[in-house]
Amino acid sequence: MVCDLARRRFFPYLDGELAAEEQASLEGHLSCCPDCQRLIHLERTFRARYLDHLRPDPAPETVRREVSRLLNGLSDHHPGGSGGRHRRSSTIRSVAVAVGVCLVLGGATLGVAVRRWWSGTSASLVRLAEASVEQHQKLTRGLLPYDVRGMSPRQMERWFRGKLDFDVNLPELPRKNLALLGGRVSSLRDIEVAALHYQLDGKDVSLFVMPLEKYRQLGLAGTPKFKIVTYQGYDVIAWASHGVAYSLVSEIGGQSCLVCHSPEERLDFPTGFRAHGML
Amino acid sequence: MDPGEEFEALTVQHLDSLHAYARLLSRDRPASKDLLQEALLRAFRAFGSYKRQLSFKVWMFTIMKNVSVDWARGVRVRLLAGGWRESEEWFAAGHGEDPTPSSLPLDPEQVLIRNVTVEQVREAIKNLPPGLREVVELREIEGLSYQSIAEVIGHPIGTVMSRLYRGRNVLRVLLREASSDTVISRRAHGV
Repeated sequence: MVCDLARRRFFPYLDGELAAEEQASLEGHLSCCPDCQRLIHLERTFRARYLDHLRPDPAPETVRREVSRLLNGLSDHHPGGSGGRHRRSSTIRSVAVAVGVCLVLGGATLGVAVRRWWSGTSASLVRLAEASVEQHQKLTRGLLPYDVRGMSPRQMERWFRGKLDFDVNLPELPRKNLALLGGRVSSLRDIEVAALHYQLDGKDVSLFVMPLEKYRQLGLAGTPKFKIVTYQGYDVIAWASHGVAYSLVSEIGGQSCLVCHSPEERLDFPTGFRAHGML
Repeated sequence: MDPGEEFEALTVQHLDSLHAYARLLSRDRPASKDLLQEALLRAFRAFGSYKRQLSFKVWMFTIMKNVSVDWARGVRVRLLAGGWRESEEWFAAGHGEDPTPSSLPLDPEQVLIRNVTVEQVREAIKNLPPGLREVVELREIEGLSYQSIAEVIGHPIGTVMSRLYRGRNVLRVLLREASSDTVISRRAHGV
């Protein structure tokens, strides 16, 4: 073996990545070439003095805390997507109730809507739900900082003006046990949205407001008006109204609608969806 | 052990490495936190399919790399525009890839004589061009095998070897130029 060829193999040799045959050939050369012996000695010294001491920088304490919060939140669920089983069965029961209510009310249109939902939500809806749930998790665990906090809905509307390509109109807080904790400009996949974090009776609810055009592009603007899906144990309701579209995420089913409506209002949506006595 | 507890334990065990790779992929921008969290959420969902005989760190790095590629292609392109894309463009411009390197490994003697510090070596690695820094860090700091690096970055082993070869040589050039009162700069891009 000539020196040039031997030296080109120094790195993989010292990395322990050389095939046995090549290794034997290189060691044969080293045993009879003082120059290459000297170079390989320098390489070993270089590694021992510097490279062997390199370790990843310690993660800052803030990152450790954030990851710890994230992991604590995830600990409510089983990893690998098996965790939503209990909640799914609960939702299926709720949906069965919803279908029953619809039939009693004789709402043929709504019946069609529920059947469409039952027959399978569109891939777009699932993607929207997935993105909404991710943002909800980050918002509620403090992993996404608010841009604004401690504002009334009217103040918040004014703050969003000019920051987004659409108007954000927020409901007044219709009940005492509802608080608007904060908001931010965020994104659901490639859709820029207004993200609002509420607490209703101590339960986290996120409302994402997006342009109607984007919602239409997802193919979600048709019937049923209210799209309901359970994703990773969270309840997601999506709908369009008055030129914008919404995605509402919570773990309290239809009760989350109380973010926008007073308990006294008679709501025809989302029918029986774990309504918790709302209907 | 409960899978949730196992996931948590493995994440905590490798958190320094995961955070370091997130910073590398996001070019040390604040987006690194989002990248780390997104990767952890994805990994948590996919943990059922994680094969225990594989390295958790390599599995997580691969997920994180995929997230960064997704982001660079889509919604987060603004945040990572200078990161992954810059790296790929750098190679596309003909730098870095040298599958049959004609130059020999640079003799480290001058670096040893200058008696640089480990901290200077660390700083010099951070100033390598993105694609070279990635393979050098994965090898020298994380101790990954060539095969594992290839899996993480999504390129053949030959590419890993050539980038590593060139990255190490560029690192030596930087260190030879360094002295105790000289800040190692981004001259690496022009090497």
